[in-house]
Amino acid sequence: MKLNKDKLADFIATLPGKKVYGPKKSGETLKYAPVTGAADLCLTAANTTVPPKSVVFPQTETLLRFELGTTDIKTPGQESETVLLGVRPCDARAMTIVDNVFSWGVEDPYYLERRAKITLVGLACLEPCANCFCTSVGGGPASKEGLDVLMTDLGDSYLLDVLTEKGENLCQSASGLLINATGEDQEAAEKLHEKAASQISRHTDPAGIPAKLPHLWESLLWDTVSASCLGCGICTYLCPTCHCFDMQDETEGSESRRCRTWDSCMFSEYTLHASGHNPRPTRRERTRNRINHKYSYFVDKFNVIACVGCGRCINLCPVNIDLLDILSKVGEEAR
Amino acid sequence: MIDLEKLRDLARETISRDDVKYLIGWKPGTHGFRISPHFVSNPEETAELIFSPLCSNNLATYLTLTEKRPVPRGEQPDTRKVALMVKGCDSRAVLQQLTEQGITKDSVYVIGCPCEGVIDIKKVEGKYPGILDQVEARWENGKISLYLPSGKVEMARDDIVAEKCLTCRYPNPVIADVSLREEVEVKGNNTFDDVKKMEAKSTQEKWAFWQGKFNSCIRCYACRNVCPMCYCEECILDKTNPTWIQRSVNISENTSFQLARAFHLAGRCVECGECERVCPVNIPLSHLNRKLVKEVMDKFGFEPGVDPEAKPLLVGYRPNDKEDFIL
Repeated sequence: MKLNKDKLADFIATLPGKKVYGPKKSGETLKYAPVTGAADLCLTAANTTVPPKSVVFPQTETLLRFELGTTDIKTPGQESETVLLGVRPCDARAMTIVDNVFSWGVEDPYYLERRAKITLVGLACLEPCANCFCTSVGGGPASKEGLDVLMTDLGDSYLLDVLTEKGENLCQSASGLLINATGEDQEAAEKLHEKAASQISRHTDPAGIPAKLPHLWESLLWDTVSASCLGCGICTYLCPTCHCFDMQDETEGSESRRCRTWDSCMFSEYTLHASGHNPRPTRRERTRNRINHKYSYFVDKFNVIACVGCGRCINLCPVNIDLLDILSKVGEEAR
Repeated sequence: MIDLEKLRDLARETISRDDVKYLIGWKPGTHGFRISPHFVSNPEETAELIFSPLCSNNLATYLTLTEKRPVPRGEQPDTRKVALMVKGCDSRAVLQQLTEQGITKDSVYVIGCPCEGVIDIKKVEGKYPGILDQVEARWENGKISLYLPSGKVEMARDDIVAEKCLTCRYPNPVIADVSLREEVEVKGNNTFDDVKKMEAKSTQEKWAFWQGKFNSCIRCYACRNVCPMCYCEECILDKTNPTWIQRSVNISENTSFQLARAFHLAGRCVECGECERVCPVNIPLSHLNRKLVKEVMDKFGFEPGVDPEAKPLLVGYRPNDKEDFIL
């Protein structure tokens, strides 16, 4: 099926009662925000600075509210059905990876409810960024994993590849706007996908990395790659698979709330014990943990690398700490 | 022109000194226009050192950012100096750290690098996106030349340098043990046109502007961590007892955070522009800092990080101060 670009606004209007999010410019920064019409949407730029995990796993989330001195506890209301438009395939794959964590052992009702009510309408990347390396870690510019619909920009229209029941439901309510796609359209889209994949110029071979990392625990490599680290939260906060959080009770007057907020393993107080002891005392240990978590621990636990090759940590690091550079150093290191 | 051979010779000499433990300079980054801070602890590693219009990182932050491990029993702490390559603005940070006694004179060896202005990476990446090959940049005849894979491009300095360079009065290091090159011409002035433009707006306009910006803040604290003047042992942001600033990311807490940081830098900010450079969501933090720079200059005639004899602004007083609450 196909959607003409001039019908995009009508398509968004066929989603009544649903919250619709899409990549939106806020000043110079692109992030997912509620959209009301096609004019709000920015589908032409490369990927967003803030990944769409901010919708499924908000940076700040109220888990419950209470009044000081009472036992009256209020939990948040029901989540509404939500559609995310223009999600890049890497970010959709990232959600399937993060799902592992929130449904492992104790199921996280907040996350899982939101996740169940989200429909992901993806947009194939036709012009990958310089630091994209999705094809090295199991994805690709037109990967369908985690998506309900995959759109491909054919110039005047979007080709819609409907992938799940959720996707079908979405397209059914918009059926009046959709036209049939031809075999030529399909071929054109495939060619575009292949071309995009061939344009990805940064690569890594992660095959041996998970097995090797545990042997490099005391390697001087970690001193080298972390020397310039500032210890800020950019690489983790803006990573679509990073999912660490903190919980705090916050009070204003007698109104209190229990919040969940993003946390980062690159912060010094992340592992600080009440005793004052810190098992990860410097940025060396924190950098080592970041790489190990993505390329070793997560693989052991869930059999998938917790990195989708979106390139954000490389693009946005203020001191050019380059994940692919670290991985190639890991590769060169003798066991 | 920068003589890179001279720079590397100077670095080799420095790193061979008995009183220097390592040297921090710049090297080409892993791709495009990027630069990496380079930690040099042996003569071989000096081969990668560069100094070019791409070297915007203020390395003075590493003097106070170092996390010291406990010294093993029976061993002595390494008290040798850190050799640091500094541009004019960076040197102001070192001097301010010294006057505040955040560091001691015998802990640092300063290599001055007179600077004709550094490139704003966001501007240049916006103009030439997607370049993976390392790009070289040079100051040439008052212009900046970029050596792109497609060939050399000359750009007018003022079109491509960071905003901070347009108002820079100190392109030559204010403190240095040794200098890389002869002094360069001072091009910037401080008429505070940028601040005055903001001051001319109504309160509502200003609030609308900042609300938009602070709403985007993701509290990654890159601005704080990169800042050479943000070196409190325990930052007010990290305190939990009491929690001065809540962890919730919303307009109220974000505003408290940004304003607390700006006020803590009053009379201390050296205008190196690093906070603004590193912000992933493009908050124009230098507008805030420059406003306070102007206030401090207007009210006290004080400029931080320029006078080795000066006391930090907010820890000194004059017995003859006109306000009677002072004494």
